[in-house]
Amino acid sequence: MSSTAGAPTGGDVLKAPNVIEYPFSRTTGPVIGAFMTGMREGIIVGIKGADGRVIVPPQEYDPVTAEELTEIVEVGDAGVVTTWCWVNEPLTDQPLDRPFAWAMIRLDGADTDLVHAVDTDGDQAVMATGMRVKARWLPARPADVDTEADGGTSAGSDDSGYRVGHILDIACFEPEGVPE
Amino acid sequence: MGKERVAIVGIGQTKHQSTNDGSIAGVVRTAARRALGDAGMTWSDIDAVVIGKAPDFFEGVMMPELYLADALGAVGKPMFRVHTAGSVGGSTAIVASDLIASGIHERVLTVAFEKQSESEAMWALSVSMPFQPPMHAGAGGYFAPHIRSYMARSGAPDHIGILVALKDRLNALKNPYAHLHEEGITFDSVKDSMMLWDPIRYSETCPSSDGACAMVLTNEAGGDAAAAAGRAPAWVKGTALRSEPTMFAGRDQVNPQGGQDCAADVFAQAGITDPLREIDVVEMYVPFSWFEPMWLENLGFAPIGEGWRYVEDGVTQMTGELPVNCSGGVLSSNPIGASGMLRFAEAAMQVRGQAGEHQIDGARTALGHAYGGGSQFFAMWVVGADKP
Repeated sequence: MSSTAGAPTGGDVLKAPNVIEYPFSRTTGPVIGAFMTGMREGIIVGIKGADGRVIVPPQEYDPVTAEELTEIVEVGDAGVVTTWCWVNEPLTDQPLDRPFAWAMIRLDGADTDLVHAVDTDGDQAVMATGMRVKARWLPARPADVDTEADGGTSAGSDDSGYRVGHILDIACFEPEGVPE
Repeated sequence: MGKERVAIVGIGQTKHQSTNDGSIAGVVRTAARRALGDAGMTWSDIDAVVIGKAPDFFEGVMMPELYLADALGAVGKPMFRVHTAGSVGGSTAIVASDLIASGIHERVLTVAFEKQSESEAMWALSVSMPFQPPMHAGAGGYFAPHIRSYMARSGAPDHIGILVALKDRLNALKNPYAHLHEEGITFDSVKDSMMLWDPIRYSETCPSSDGACAMVLTNEAGGDAAAAAGRAPAWVKGTALRSEPTMFAGRDQVNPQGGQDCAADVFAQAGITDPLREIDVVEMYVPFSWFEPMWLENLGFAPIGEGWRYVEDGVTQMTGELPVNCSGGVLSSNPIGASGMLRFAEAAMQVRGQAGEHQIDGARTALGHAYGGGSQFFAMWVVGADKP
């Protein structure tokens, strides 16, 4: 305990932790659920809008007409960077612990952009609008690994290192053509 | 009231349940679509959307109205979010009503929801603080001392709360949208249920529900058109909101001044001088059984200290002089943010004659009531079958 000048009694100041924890679960519904299931399977899906555009990630309701959307379509896991922003000093819990780019990525077959991280080994000079990138997936969870080990409550990237149905099942994107 | 008369021409709700398989967007969409269908309208007929829910941390989606714009056909239209804790469903409907009454919009869609399955609201309301003993667990723990105070003041016997719970749960059997359908519930089964927060038993407590409610409100021309098309509207005869701080010296939590003032205001607007005789049916926010006699007094239906006698005498039964919560009320369905709007909507359903098996024959004038927070936010409307 430390003494603080001006404390009312002049004595030590009591300190105690106050951790507020409040877990959430999410019912994703048929469309976002399809996207999450796709992530776990290692595929990316979008949805066809009323005007024929393929929206990725998929939306339940058309952003123009408000109609219910149902036509799920698979898109590629590689595409083109449409714009980007370099991160010199990554923060805790960001996808990479070395300098990287946040990028808008127009996946092959999509008409909207997906936000994700692009890893260029910390080299900003590699980044360019118009460059092609592809997803770097986490591995699928092996069949002999207990999928209920987390009680089924995992809210995503669960530190198992395997795909669980979360946007970070794609660890990041990387310039296309990088050897495995 | 504003310059325009306000009509309720469309009402929709979801089947309330412990876990709705839809997303948040899917749940609000279902209620909104049903309200539009009831109104004979489509998304493009709507000028503006007013949406309410209880605090965002109940689902952990901050400002959900932003992403719900697509689901509610609100892209490119004014969308307004209302926040008043548990009373929010009522306050939201009043904001929508005001947008019509003021002449700003002609047709407003109003929606309220909660998806309690996405978290545990009870523990969200039970944050413990360092160096303090835990004061309560959930809303029941907060309100139990108020009920004890009411019992001590009024001399009400223990079984009053049981009578209210039994009545509301039996009424819920007549409402296909109610969350709880407890076939075979009896006085003894309520009495024998676990004591959670003395004097509140398990069966005297609201459930945790997923659900939504929506209404379409229009101006007088819209109401007349609905009537001409054979879809009788409900007319808004008065609306009132009041709030007071959670704590202040001399505050009366059992009979809050805010509730008294709100009721007096809404009855004056509707020209009601004897609520017990002039109101045909009430949808009252009763999340714990004992709030029925407490609010009967707070709203002016019963003299102070006498509300419990009305319960005991069956006044609030569907067969009584003042039926309360024919829908089963909050005690049978509690999607928190929607619960206030359900009270308002059920009141409107009664005067429109569309309440099905829980309809009170000949209901012409009804009160919808909501409260929230620590009995500090109040919202009420009086609706009628006749144009004001």
